[in-house]
Amino acid sequence: MSKYFSKEKWKYMFYTISHPMDGYYWIRHKDRGSVPLAILMVIIFSICFTANRLLASFVVNDLDPRGVDSLFELLGVLAFYLLICVSNWSITCLMNGEGRLKDIAIAIGYGTVPISVVLVAATIVSQFIADDEQAFYTLLIVVGIAYGLIMMLMGIMQVHNYTLGKTLITLFLTFVAMLIIVFLLLLLSNLLGMVYNFFYSIYTEIIFRT
Amino acid sequence: MKRFIQPKKIISLCLAVLMLVLLGGESVYASSTLPYDTYNYDYREYIHLTPAAYIPAGTIKGEDLTYNGESIGRFVTPQDLCEAEDGNIYIADTGNNRIVVLNNKMTEVVNIITTFDNNGTEDNFKQPYGVCVSEAGQIYIADSQHNRIVVLEKDGTLVKIVENPQSESLEDNYVFVPLKIAVDYADRMYVIAQNMFEGIMVFESDGTFASFFGTIEVEISLWEKFWKRLATKEERAKQQLFIPTEFTGIDIDPDGFVYASNIDPNGVQGVRRLNPKGEDVIKKGENGNVGGDLQIDGSTDYAGPSQFVDVVYRGNGIYSCLDRKRGRIFTYDHEGNLLYIFGGLGTQLGTFSLPVAVEDIGGRLVVLDATKGEIISFAETEYGRLINEAVSLRYEGDETQAVELWQRVLELDENNELANTGIGKAYLTAGDYVNAMKYLELGMNRDYYSIAYRRYRNAKLIDNASYLLTGAAVLIAAWLIFKQIKKKKKGGAQDE
Repeated sequence: MSKYFSKEKWKYMFYTISHPMDGYYWIRHKDRGSVPLAILMVIIFSICFTANRLLASFVVNDLDPRGVDSLFELLGVLAFYLLICVSNWSITCLMNGEGRLKDIAIAIGYGTVPISVVLVAATIVSQFIADDEQAFYTLLIVVGIAYGLIMMLMGIMQVHNYTLGKTLITLFLTFVAMLIIVFLLLLLSNLLGMVYNFFYSIYTEIIFRT
Repeated sequence: MKRFIQPKKIISLCLAVLMLVLLGGESVYASSTLPYDTYNYDYREYIHLTPAAYIPAGTIKGEDLTYNGESIGRFVTPQDLCEAEDGNIYIADTGNNRIVVLNNKMTEVVNIITTFDNNGTEDNFKQPYGVCVSEAGQIYIADSQHNRIVVLEKDGTLVKIVENPQSESLEDNYVFVPLKIAVDYADRMYVIAQNMFEGIMVFESDGTFASFFGTIEVEISLWEKFWKRLATKEERAKQQLFIPTEFTGIDIDPDGFVYASNIDPNGVQGVRRLNPKGEDVIKKGENGNVGGDLQIDGSTDYAGPSQFVDVVYRGNGIYSCLDRKRGRIFTYDHEGNLLYIFGGLGTQLGTFSLPVAVEDIGGRLVVLDATKGEIISFAETEYGRLINEAVSLRYEGDETQAVELWQRVLELDENNELANTGIGKAYLTAGDYVNAMKYLELGMNRDYYSIAYRRYRNAKLIDNASYLLTGAAVLIAAWLIFKQIKKKKKGGAQDE
């Protein structure tokens, strides 16, 4: 365990955040990243996201707290993370991408760190602002999300050794692949449900006959 | 599984019951004893049940009333009622072709108008649909099937007849069927006519047709425009026309503003407040809705937007609208906030079959039911009175006085957002920003909360300015010194 969360890995993660191009290159070629650390970052991101929705001050927060379920959001974020990694991997495999699944997972996982930081900062800032100062809050969040997205983009570009244009094309295809995966999952669950119903009805039939 | 009952809980329950018994002096009507719920929508558009604002206070039936010793018989599809300046109540008993005049308590019949003297010949009404009394006491009757408006003096002598309006904007074969009528302080007539989609017809006091008033604009969405473009001429002819909705009820406030209800298929705006130029100047509340119920989803007959059939201006900016769809009465204040909603369809006392008109008679809300042929009156409760009075005080700009009333409203209905906002605003003017913020947040009022918060923050900053500035100065000094030391150390290292 300590191998994945060693001091060096932590340090290297922060180095990647400040130097994405360089950082991701050595993650791909010298295994300096850590998948468990990336997953931890995604979990932390989910917690920050929920915390922002629940705790941001009344002035900026129009959400109904009854509609926020932290556990459900954690599961949702993790499922989305898995989906995006798998679909990107499956597309880039076909498009001469050099990245392995673990590289993709690290690229996206590390990319969530700036967003988490900014969400926490914005939640704190929101406690000290009035109605007409909302722009600061929004700006902060927008800048953080933009940084995070650019980081993810650079990460995917770097681990696959792509040009920017090719990265964008693969990202679009990744989106299509995600839709296909979701569709297949729905189909599968539906069919499994039917099979289950079939056996259940046989079971009830037997129960009532005897 | 075993369930443990915590002794603490039992004790607190007992205490709560005891408190209720001891402090329950002010009787609040539980909704279960009434045939309808009284409720309101909160900021997030959840239904929020409240104590009853109005309770049924009896019905008036035609068969129970006598005139000159005889029963006047039941009302047959009455369509309109109106209160005159002298307190008498005029009812358009449409199916019986007569106007019934009751006294203010609605216990005795003062007069029944069935005929009038039209220049020597005896004339009568045919389906009189609307009735209205001017400030001077003249009776205006929308005599629908005779296609005219009859104006009578109080004693029944004819003043004038308005018929056959002439205008270039009317079609040649236009048949004038007046349904509802209202008269302003200058004796101008505002008439809602059948199949008249251009708006309310305004007649001058001498009976000439002046103009249309308050036309409801038709909104065509981009999508519908797109389909119109694609359609051929034949297809377009078969499509349904985009016709604005008709007005259904009308009332005039003392300043001459016209309140007119209409049936909005989207349920967003069921009532308009028209200024003398005919422009809609109604204020919509936080959610931009003055169309009745907010939760209208569903596919049953009972779902769908409210259908306002009448509106009554009740003074101090408060007005009530009558919903035909679910038989509810919606009361708004001058800012478009919902105050309370009550009423329902049914056969019990206090419910309606087909409500058609609503009027405020001496603080009571009175609803005319066409199918039952009854007048149902509602008396305000403590809760309703407190809200009405507090809103009136706020309308007059006397918010500090309203606080006491709002506090009592909160005792009856803890989560009343208007009450919380009212109290918060009062604290704000009094300079108690902490309490102001607390109540304004409960009242979900962001604008005023922000004002309170900004003032609170400024006060805090000014109070602690010396500490903050000293702290900043110390930090800067420390940083400078630290830099110097670092430099010296480096210099020293180089020297060696």
